[in-house]
Amino acid sequence: MSVYAMVKDASPTVAVKAALTKLLSQNLVDAVLVAAKSPYSALPMPTLFAEASAMDGIDPLAPAAPFNAARQAATVSRQATGKRLALVLRPCEIRALIELVKLNQCTLENVVLIGIDCLGRMENEVFLRHASALGDVTSEFQKNTSLQDDITRTCQMCEQFEPAHADIAMSTLGMAENSVLFASGSETGEALLKELGLSPAENPAQRETVTKQLREKRAACKKEVFAETSEKINSIEKFEKMIGTCLNCYNCRQACPVCYCRECVFLTDVFAARPETLLRRAQKRGSVKLPTDTTMFHLTRLSHIAHSCVGCGQCSSVCPSNIPVADIFTTVAAQVQAAYDYVPGRDVQEPIPYLIFAEKQKSGEPK
Amino acid sequence: MVKSMSDDYQPKIIALVCNWCTYTAADLAGTSRLCYPSNIRMIRMMCTGMIDPKYILKAFLDGADGVFIGGCHPGDCHYINGNLKFKKRMAGIEAIISQFGFEEDRLRLRWIGASEGPEFQHNMTDFIQTIQNMGPSPAKGLMVL
Amino acid sequence: MTTQNKPKIGVYICHCGMNIAPKVDVEEVARYIQELDHVTVARDYKFMCSNPGQDMIINDIKELGLNRVVVASCSPRMHEKTFRNAVRTAGLNPYYFQMANIREQVSWVTKDSQEATEKAKSMVAAAVARVFFHQPLDTREVTVAKSVLVIGGGIAGMQAALTSANAGYQVSLVEREPSIGGHMAKFDKTFPTLDCAACIMTPKMVDVLQHPGITLYTWSEVEKVEGFIGNFEVTVKKKPRYVDEKKCTGCGTCMQKCPTKKILSEFNEGLSFRTAIYTPFPQAVPNVPVIDATHCRVLGQNKKCGVCAKFCETKAIDFDQKPEFVTLKIGAIITATGFQAVNPTSLEQYGYGRFPEVYTSMEFERLNNATGPTSGKVLMKNGMVPKRVAIIHCVGSRDTRHKKYCSRVCCMYSMKFAHLLREKTGAEVWEFYIDIRSPGKLYEEFYNRVQEEGVRFIRGRVAEITDMVEDPGDEGRLTVIAESTLTRRTVRVPVDMVVLSVGLEPARGSEDIGRLLGLSRDGDGWFNELHAKLAPLATPINGIFLAGCCQGPKDIPDTVAQAMGAAGEAIALLAKGIVTTQAEISRIDPDLCSGCKSCIESCTYSAIRFDEARKVAVVNEALCMGCGSCAAACPSSAAGVKHFTDKQVMGEIEALLM
Repeated sequence: MSVYAMVKDASPTVAVKAALTKLLSQNLVDAVLVAAKSPYSALPMPTLFAEASAMDGIDPLAPAAPFNAARQAATVSRQATGKRLALVLRPCEIRALIELVKLNQCTLENVVLIGIDCLGRMENEVFLRHASALGDVTSEFQKNTSLQDDITRTCQMCEQFEPAHADIAMSTLGMAENSVLFASGSETGEALLKELGLSPAENPAQRETVTKQLREKRAACKKEVFAETSEKINSIEKFEKMIGTCLNCYNCRQACPVCYCRECVFLTDVFAARPETLLRRAQKRGSVKLPTDTTMFHLTRLSHIAHSCVGCGQCSSVCPSNIPVADIFTTVAAQVQAAYDYVPGRDVQEPIPYLIFAEKQKSGEPK
Repeated sequence: MVKSMSDDYQPKIIALVCNWCTYTAADLAGTSRLCYPSNIRMIRMMCTGMIDPKYILKAFLDGADGVFIGGCHPGDCHYINGNLKFKKRMAGIEAIISQFGFEEDRLRLRWIGASEGPEFQHNMTDFIQTIQNMGPSPAKGLMVL
Repeated sequence: MTTQNKPKIGVYICHCGMNIAPKVDVEEVARYIQELDHVTVARDYKFMCSNPGQDMIINDIKELGLNRVVVASCSPRMHEKTFRNAVRTAGLNPYYFQMANIREQVSWVTKDSQEATEKAKSMVAAAVARVFFHQPLDTREVTVAKSVLVIGGGIAGMQAALTSANAGYQVSLVEREPSIGGHMAKFDKTFPTLDCAACIMTPKMVDVLQHPGITLYTWSEVEKVEGFIGNFEVTVKKKPRYVDEKKCTGCGTCMQKCPTKKILSEFNEGLSFRTAIYTPFPQAVPNVPVIDATHCRVLGQNKKCGVCAKFCETKAIDFDQKPEFVTLKIGAIITATGFQAVNPTSLEQYGYGRFPEVYTSMEFERLNNATGPTSGKVLMKNGMVPKRVAIIHCVGSRDTRHKKYCSRVCCMYSMKFAHLLREKTGAEVWEFYIDIRSPGKLYEEFYNRVQEEGVRFIRGRVAEITDMVEDPGDEGRLTVIAESTLTRRTVRVPVDMVVLSVGLEPARGSEDIGRLLGLSRDGDGWFNELHAKLAPLATPINGIFLAGCCQGPKDIPDTVAQAMGAAGEAIALLAKGIVTTQAEISRIDPDLCSGCKSCIESCTYSAIRFDEARKVAVVNEALCMGCGSCAAACPSSAAGVKHFTDKQVMGEIEALLM
């Protein structure tokens, strides 16, 4: 990675906006997917821009993300269109996108990945509350550390807040006030930064200190959450208490960026119980709680995606029963990922772990 | 059945076994009249490689005290490497269920070749004894399914 | 579910004479099962597999309108077919049937009668639960092309081709070298009978050439293989020979006149030279030379030469020849790609490549052969006859640092060399061996014979071959140093010549052939047979068979026998003319498929392809073996194996735990 330029502007958002707008106005890309305020809400939504003039409301550094935008990013990069796309994503979104590439859900062909330093996101209602009080939450959030404590529980335990695998990384951590550091992570990124007229620069010395401190703080939090969660789920009975209010709404699955199935198996008839089976079961046990597949749903979903869980926390955010789904998933996922020595989003070339076999025989490749 | 001294706990064990090896070994144990406890309930699969994690989860949540998987020895798989595919998958399943309080040994994978009737008998007896000693599954009696 | 196809299950509990009944209370089981949902009738009977037993099922299907059947008796491995046929006879799809194995897995292995009865009840109930979810399945019949492709023209490939063609089938034999014959064509004598290899080989080569049923593609390679059993589509690449096969008379003038004469002869293991236009050996089949484009002055060096063309009376030389591609419709494929001898250069202790008088066994074969570089005289590089020769066994074989396996032929050919050396030169011969392996017809006798001929046998692996001599009188000779494990002494033997009995390894390019055919290889690179004991000629890919050393080292008699066997397998397939596809294979629901390709990655048989337009995976039913790897890899259960569906398996689990 080579560092390109330190840009100081009225605010980091202004600096970032200027660069992203230029990408379109100079025709360096055909479209930019980036979070932007809509005329209807302060909550920034993933928005696809094809005109630089429309980009006024973009707010990629806002501490809010109603979606893990890997899903939207995968929608626009489902297949190569011949157009060049810039996708501006948070680190967890990039990691999820890389998992989706491995699962053939989208392609990075002709895609420029632009990552940001992520200080975390707030739950939607927290963000909106601040927005109505402060107006520009994003700028305030960059400076105000007490505001930074309002991020979600999952963000508080995230150690991977710096963008990896991005063609261009836009960093704010450890920078002088209102400055953004642009760095390239690939030849594509380097060429683009040159086209933008940015010149080589140095990584400021304090960046490492700041990120190290933050990482340590996050690690401590993660350790605490994992310990607490492990204790809460370490028997199936305790786990039942935890998910006792689950409504089988499947919001968690819908919000999960790596739950990629076109139709979830829990919507098919695979788990549909026959009345005679339910009645027999009720006769045998005295009663049967319906629906019967709540626990099965969560465990099966874990078995399907734990290895790819990027810890974005959206599952917790969308749970109407306030079940800490992300606590459970990240805690279990850590074990699964350790078992496979697999880190989701680490490398697009790294295959999904269960598709390679340890004692693989020399075998013929597909014809 | 293995009788526990204190209570009348009768473990229920599901065995998902490969048609080509362990199932055949079980048949051989039968023709050789090699007795083993009756708690085991065997399901014939064509290959361990077709065992979906949800079968194992389903068995545990349905009240199985143990799940036994019997496959071909590495290199002997009828479908070349289905057994190794399962072995890889098993690591993930173990990591998951152990987090929910299922003791490690409640899920056991063993390679038992078609000619290994005595090994089959030994494995069944040993597994049932292990599960017996462990006591009932934590999911037993819960209305989780 | 409409009333018409509402499940009506008939359950039959077999007594199996005294095998099930006294231990399992079959009447109790029948009473219990009768009460289960959807069970129309539950009966017990002495022998369900007997005619009256089967008739009972057939009558019930007809009279009671049963549409599902469960038989609780012996192992499905025993009688599943029997009962499926009975069900079919009654007009029901045979897959509306499930068996509960209450003999091998209950009555025979359970001591307590009550426990056995309980276990039987739960297993039969599970079969009932499972059969509820059964679906009618069909098998499909596919016609088989009446043609065989043989890959490799050594003795294995030739024999497989001849046997197949003699049965009346069209055979295409593909050989990458300019001539068929393989390794055997290079040998002098063959153990243990000492027939002259050429004398028994060349007539067979001519038979192959002249057989009306065999099309010979030499100097050709298999380029692409598509399709499946009975219906392979194979593309063969004919490399440019630069000689028109139809015009060439094989007069050999071109070879005499070619000015590029100093190319090491592959056939003579680099011990003599050949020209740029050449046939590998005088008896080559076909007797049509090829031009070695790298060394030819016209083709390789862009010089003016064309001497061959000038002298060719039939104008057969064609410098503009391009590769040709031939597409063949093939019913069965026999892989006979053979072996290559291990190159001992990396085994530095033997000094191969450093000492001129250290030869590999293949070189020594040529040195012995009347068509070889010395016209069959065993001579050293200085033209002298060796007085003492050491033969080192297990070079590269039975060595944990190299090949762990025994190459099977080296002991015998080493002793053949010893005999030939004694006979031709009278030289003293020392064999250094680990064990003598002579387990073939007349092999042990041959071992005794060479011992009687005065060959010295030292049991011990050779530590080193050196040119340092102890006695100045031996200057210029090599010294073989080994520990004789019988006398527990180190022996140092000065010799004039050393022959390294190198082991066998898979032929160069067999990995590529494996990839083309979808064949798997073992850790040493040999092709995997379907079953080591019971299906040694078949492969996991239906319709592809193995012959000769590509499956593992073997001698000529075993190779020929295996080739005939592989041809037999192919003939059996072609003679029947149809293949029935399995019913229990994978299906992928395109409405559920997310196109993640996990199934494709998991499939051992390359039986799933990706439909780029619809972005879904599609199963090739003819290639699928029904292993279910795809099903386990698919999170949305879009992929599943027929007759092993989620609902069927989970229904069984649920019932067993009820």
